[in-house]
Amino acid sequence: MIEEFIRQIKQSSSYKKQIAHIEELPAHIASFGELEKPLPENLQRVLLYRKIQLYSHQAQAINEARSGKNVVIVTPTASGKTLAFNIPVLEALTSDEKSTALYIYPAKALANDQLKVLKGLEKESGIKADANIYDGDTPQHQRSNIRKNSRIILTNPYGLHQYLPWHYQWRNFFQNLRFIVMDEAHVYRGVFGSSVAMVIRRLLRICNHYHADPQIILSSATIANPKEHAKKLTGKDCEIVSNDGSPRGKKSFVFWNPPFIGSTNTLRRSTHLETKDLLTWNVLQNLQTLCFTTSRQTAELVTRWTKEELTAKAKPTNVVTAYRAGYLPQERRDIENRLKNKKLSGVVSTNALELGIDIGSLDSVIISGYPGTVISTWQQAGRAGRSNLESIVTLVAYQNPLDQYFMKHPSDFFGRSHEQAIIDLRNRYISLGHIMCASSELPINDLDKQFFPELLAESIQALEQEKLVRKTPRGWVYSGTARTTEVVSLKNISDKTVTVLCEGNLLETLTLNKAYEEAHSGAVLLHQGETYICENLDLDQLIAKVRQENVNYYTEALKDVEVTIDKTHEKSDKSTGIGLGELSITEIYHTYITKTYDTVIKRIPLNLPPLTFSTVGLWFIVPDEVKEEIENRGLDFGGGLHAVEHAMIAMAPIFAMCDRWDIGGLSTPLHSDTNESTIFIYDGFEGGIGISEVLYLKIKLLWEKTLELIEKCECKEGCPSCIYSPKCGNENEPLDKKAAGIILKEMLKVYATDCNNSRK
Amino acid sequence: MATFNKEAPGLPTIQGKIRSERVHKEKVALFRVAEGLRKRVGQSKEYEVVSEKESERQKRPVFENWILSSEYEEALKFEKQLLKQYRGKTLEESLPGKVVSNEQGECYEISSSCFAKFKRVTYEESKQVMISDLKVLPGIGPVNERLLKKQGYGTVEDLERHPRWKKQAYEYMELVDTKEVGAVQKWLWQRFPKSHPLLHYLAGFCQDHDFAIVDIETLGLSERPIILLGIAKPTKDHICTTQFLLRDIPDEPGAIWAMLAQLDPKLSLITYNGKSFDIPYIKQRLAYYGLDAYIDNPNFDILHFTRRALKPKLTDCKLETVEKYLGIKRDINIPGALVPHFYDTYLRTKNVGPLTPIVEHNRQDLLTLGTLFSKLYEEW
Repeated sequence: MIEEFIRQIKQSSSYKKQIAHIEELPAHIASFGELEKPLPENLQRVLLYRKIQLYSHQAQAINEARSGKNVVIVTPTASGKTLAFNIPVLEALTSDEKSTALYIYPAKALANDQLKVLKGLEKESGIKADANIYDGDTPQHQRSNIRKNSRIILTNPYGLHQYLPWHYQWRNFFQNLRFIVMDEAHVYRGVFGSSVAMVIRRLLRICNHYHADPQIILSSATIANPKEHAKKLTGKDCEIVSNDGSPRGKKSFVFWNPPFIGSTNTLRRSTHLETKDLLTWNVLQNLQTLCFTTSRQTAELVTRWTKEELTAKAKPTNVVTAYRAGYLPQERRDIENRLKNKKLSGVVSTNALELGIDIGSLDSVIISGYPGTVISTWQQAGRAGRSNLESIVTLVAYQNPLDQYFMKHPSDFFGRSHEQAIIDLRNRYISLGHIMCASSELPINDLDKQFFPELLAESIQALEQEKLVRKTPRGWVYSGTARTTEVVSLKNISDKTVTVLCEGNLLETLTLNKAYEEAHSGAVLLHQGETYICENLDLDQLIAKVRQENVNYYTEALKDVEVTIDKTHEKSDKSTGIGLGELSITEIYHTYITKTYDTVIKRIPLNLPPLTFSTVGLWFIVPDEVKEEIENRGLDFGGGLHAVEHAMIAMAPIFAMCDRWDIGGLSTPLHSDTNESTIFIYDGFEGGIGISEVLYLKIKLLWEKTLELIEKCECKEGCPSCIYSPKCGNENEPLDKKAAGIILKEMLKVYATDCNNSRK
Repeated sequence: MATFNKEAPGLPTIQGKIRSERVHKEKVALFRVAEGLRKRVGQSKEYEVVSEKESERQKRPVFENWILSSEYEEALKFEKQLLKQYRGKTLEESLPGKVVSNEQGECYEISSSCFAKFKRVTYEESKQVMISDLKVLPGIGPVNERLLKKQGYGTVEDLERHPRWKKQAYEYMELVDTKEVGAVQKWLWQRFPKSHPLLHYLAGFCQDHDFAIVDIETLGLSERPIILLGIAKPTKDHICTTQFLLRDIPDEPGAIWAMLAQLDPKLSLITYNGKSFDIPYIKQRLAYYGLDAYIDNPNFDILHFTRRALKPKLTDCKLETVEKYLGIKRDINIPGALVPHFYDTYLRTKNVGPLTPIVEHNRQDLLTLGTLFSKLYEEW
């Protein structure tokens, strides 16, 4: 069927050799496993009723868990991970009718989805666990009841962070806690992951206080270092279960590169339009398709255009819809259900559907633009392929160098290992904050070293110096005047949420930053493929008023980013001018453009106050002589600076134990504070999180490693392994690999000379 | 990576020196992070300072922490003055009292007695009211009640003869006759809002010496130490207050324990928002120290009565506002929201000055609660 589909595409009149590569991923048959001892009768009945024979990885996971081990299950999407952890949990809850389990999900939508699954299992097995969600949305009057009666509670790390100081209300639950389940554990990486790791340690410390020692089960997408990651996340050794025994049909992975326009050899057709065509073909061929886009707006546009196309072909349009964050929960659930019931044949989604919400498996997945990581790409691709049936995945390239590189080097993608999930337990900002939180949960004493093996004594000393804890005969007691869990936050997200109203009715919600892009006055806000014109964005009340109006254009807000140095903490006296200090990052949205497809119609000035956040960052100055040298050789100096910035950020996680998404950068041939060519690298977190501090101390090593990266990379003009950034705000342009090499060599030379001079 | 807490052993080698330098550098860095945390703790306020204009324009929330900017500035000035006035003075000479100890630790006890009228209804009055409202029985609403009264069932007692209601009526009457305050209170909480006058009339079931007025001062709205626990016991014409103060944070378990020792399970509490604040707060702090104590006393939470009776007459139900209405004047006062700030200053400076208004504020709260409790009977 898929082969036929591809053949038809190739024969169609609009085919212009877009297929750059097809990778055939072979089918594999199911391999089943045996349990070491039989399940209790009620669970056997469930499996029988569902006609389930356990796959090898499920059996292995259940065996390990039943023998009392902590487990991390690392198998692809839709391989039945959920059942693998639910069975040992339910068995424990059957054999001891007091025992409880805590499920931690990274997103509320996932918890909602899993609740249904658990309720179903409860019913079929006859186990009374009264599974319930307990999070920010749980009504106040239901809370005490859930804490008292539910034996399975589903929550998220943000909620847990807030509830831990109230452990006495959870006493029964914690006393009997047998299992902690963390689904989608790969999401907990970088700064966020490091914070969650500390929350888990606080949780285990409280369990220990109530004499409970819960077992841990993690499930994760494929990452390069699952064992290490699980250990860092939970502090416990986990057995890895990774031999996927679920059956897979053949999968064709197509690399699709939009064709050049006309006779040019430079400009390619819009990725969005190509995606629209592909989705339309898929739908017309009765392939149920999930299309991933890299932004909310693209999801809406592709939906809208596909509907237009279907209308032109006199086909029904209600089989296609968009899906993304910001939709009301009811709306989202409705789409999930219609997708599962096959009432929808095409859904265009942001990565909101990348995580494990159960929507069944699809015939086809279109990935519109490389999502930035190998992990995400495979997660999204994993949505296609029912057992034993053929499926197709199409990666549609953007014109940027990163996507184009993969189109030219497909084997590089398929041979590429999944990223590492990095967690840093020695980050002072994170650990100090959470040790303070812990001190407000139970007094801290020496025994707590088992939970906080890193930096505990030093942290307490520092907290005492600032009078945030006091020594008492019972241990160190928190004595600050603010709520610790309010001062320490897990993620650096602006909590300002803008509400979008249409004729007084709630349409959706979005963050303030997104509202600047999509809901300023005059903006076209797309919602389920319909166009709404924003009449007014009230920044005091945080309300955007929109009216529904059918227009044939959409809008894009343009911004400038400025970095200013507010305060210099440290500065080297070297001529490289390396500095570390407080920076303000200001985004100024100055104009918006209206577009029809890819054609710009109008430019209209915007009048919005700038968005600023302050953080800590490092900077260094590239001497004028280097600039001259590069320009004399006919290379692009700006492209060189930009490339150095990217490559340094790419290398930074090795030194600072963070995710590259935790870091920001800016390079400019003339900066108003330094009056020179300057490269900035800063923490992507309000107030700073310690990344730049580490990089500042190791700048020479960082330059050396970055230079090595660029020189050793076999590409000519740059590639994703060296200077291409998956999150560049400038579409990876300009970039100049040769110039970058020269800059780094010169920086190291200047640095060495300075060191020699200072020794004399 | 170098381990943190171990200095390099043996003779100072170059590596040893580099290492100890690194340890030192790390420490300095950690202190800088702690300083930043301290700043953020200082900025995170649980109250809002509003200007007079704003406070008139906006509808004031009933029980929220806000302070008028004039009061705020006055309080800060007052604090400065106190620091000057009490420089070098000891706790004992500034706030006469004594150190007491128990199995959980020590604290500082301050006692006083004050002339005050404490009024409540008699048992007979109370009982009459308690049994005249037939809606106390589950299943009886206003319509049923009217019908039953027409049929001659004037009281719950009468309903003991009614074929359908007799079982419940008997159950209720038994609680009323045996004066089971706690059980009747729980019964009524199931049936009525917490502000219902019946719950106030219930006080007639108690004797004067059955009451304990309780109010605590804390470093915040949750999850932080309690710094002062006040308990007051009314007699016919006096109210005796006992306050347990933390000289420093280590006194907390001792102070809580000392207060609990005064709290016989038979006593009925009089509190202001105590059902949702003071009592859960004490429980949370006990759990924090891994201590176990069961507090299940009947609780006359008069915030709810005050809201019902006085809200139409007042701009808000802060205790200070209620006092103005009742004509109670405080000589020294600081806004309740600033108590954590004053105590924090005491901890930092070890100057007892800022403690004095906290103790007085708490004592005055206890007395006002006694008066308010009596006055509310005039409002029903």
